[in-house]
Amino acid sequence: MERVPEDCFAHILSFASPQDACSLCLVSTTLQSMADSDCVWEKFLPLDCQEIVSRIVNPSLSCSSNKKHVFVTLCRPQLIDGGNKIFWIEKNSGKICYQLSARELSIAWGKCPLYWSWKPVEGSRFEEAAELRTICWLEMNGSISTGMLSPKTLYGAYLKVKIADRAYGLDSLPSHVSVELPNYKSHGTVYIRRPSHTHEEWLEIELGSFYTGLDKEVVKMGLKEVKGVHLKGGLIVDGIEIRPKMV
Amino acid sequence: MSGISDTERMITLKTVEGTLFDVKSSIAKDIKTVQAFIDDSDDDVTSPIPLPNVFTRELSRILDYLNNHHRFRSDIEKADEEMARYDAEFAKSMSHEELKALILAANYLNVKDLLEFLNQTVADVIQNKSVEFVRNFFGIENDYTPEEEEKLRNENEWAFNGVEQD
Repeated sequence: MERVPEDCFAHILSFASPQDACSLCLVSTTLQSMADSDCVWEKFLPLDCQEIVSRIVNPSLSCSSNKKHVFVTLCRPQLIDGGNKIFWIEKNSGKICYQLSARELSIAWGKCPLYWSWKPVEGSRFEEAAELRTICWLEMNGSISTGMLSPKTLYGAYLKVKIADRAYGLDSLPSHVSVELPNYKSHGTVYIRRPSHTHEEWLEIELGSFYTGLDKEVVKMGLKEVKGVHLKGGLIVDGIEIRPKMV
Repeated sequence: MSGISDTERMITLKTVEGTLFDVKSSIAKDIKTVQAFIDDSDDDVTSPIPLPNVFTRELSRILDYLNNHHRFRSDIEKADEEMARYDAEFAKSMSHEELKALILAANYLNVKDLLEFLNQTVADVIQNKSVEFVRNFFGIENDYTPEEEEKLRNENEWAFNGVEQD
């Protein structure tokens, strides 16, 4: 049987996913030179990739890095914007993901040491997380522009938290979670408590989901529990993660 | 179908085995290699055009594909839907060997739309498959030394979590 011609491989590669391009490069040396080429990997990278790379805190990439190397580097979480956000891309799809640090959120009374304390927390990739000492008005919000995310994608927003052993009052009443865009609102309720089946230290509380169109709009994501007058404490907040939602 | 196409000029194609196929000139237009042959001939082409690289089985499938696509395009309203359904069936009906044989034939005959469709089908077949599967599929020999391959595998390790077993 004759071989499939080389220009067909170039064409097949144009339909391939990042993983498929990696399998193809291992097949033979000829395929490697095609599968590792910049024109294959460029289309997996976000459009404004160069601008994002320039915001990385400890840059290990230069303009001359080959595109596959850029892709592989960006699949690993990178601290950006002075260490207040983490950026990465999904390796299957190249879609953009962010985590906003607790410092990037607006937390009610967050600057008041009576209620919230800021400190390094094990397992967090940021310098500091926010720990709730005690408060009755629990409210925090974060926002991001859809222009920073991949277009035409369904995203979920997740609050990353730990619950300290001394925690109290967090699940006496359900908290209100929301995601809002100018023309879209999603609301729900959730109890802040550790699910019985998990041993993970960090929990994710889904705040809601939204779809990015082609326009730039501001997405506001938040959690609040302000109906109860009781005190609550022991919630450790690492930030909000925004990533494509599996359908 | 319009009346004109019924009286359309026919072109005869001849496969490796010597089988003759009569093809409407509007269909032959999509087969660039054949069209180039016609364009280069000074006189009207009356004798069969020999296709020394194309076997009867592949040519018959390719003509089926082109005829059906021409038919779909004549009915603008349902064209996309019916074409998608036909293409899906067509992709399902091929074995891997048939798929490769068709690519070779479509590549030689330079049938752009079909080649694009076949290459997409190959991309779907090898999606999430192991390196060995891809090598076998294309019949490509591994020309890496074990050391080179080991090194490359490590470099590409990140991509292979969750790859299907063959």
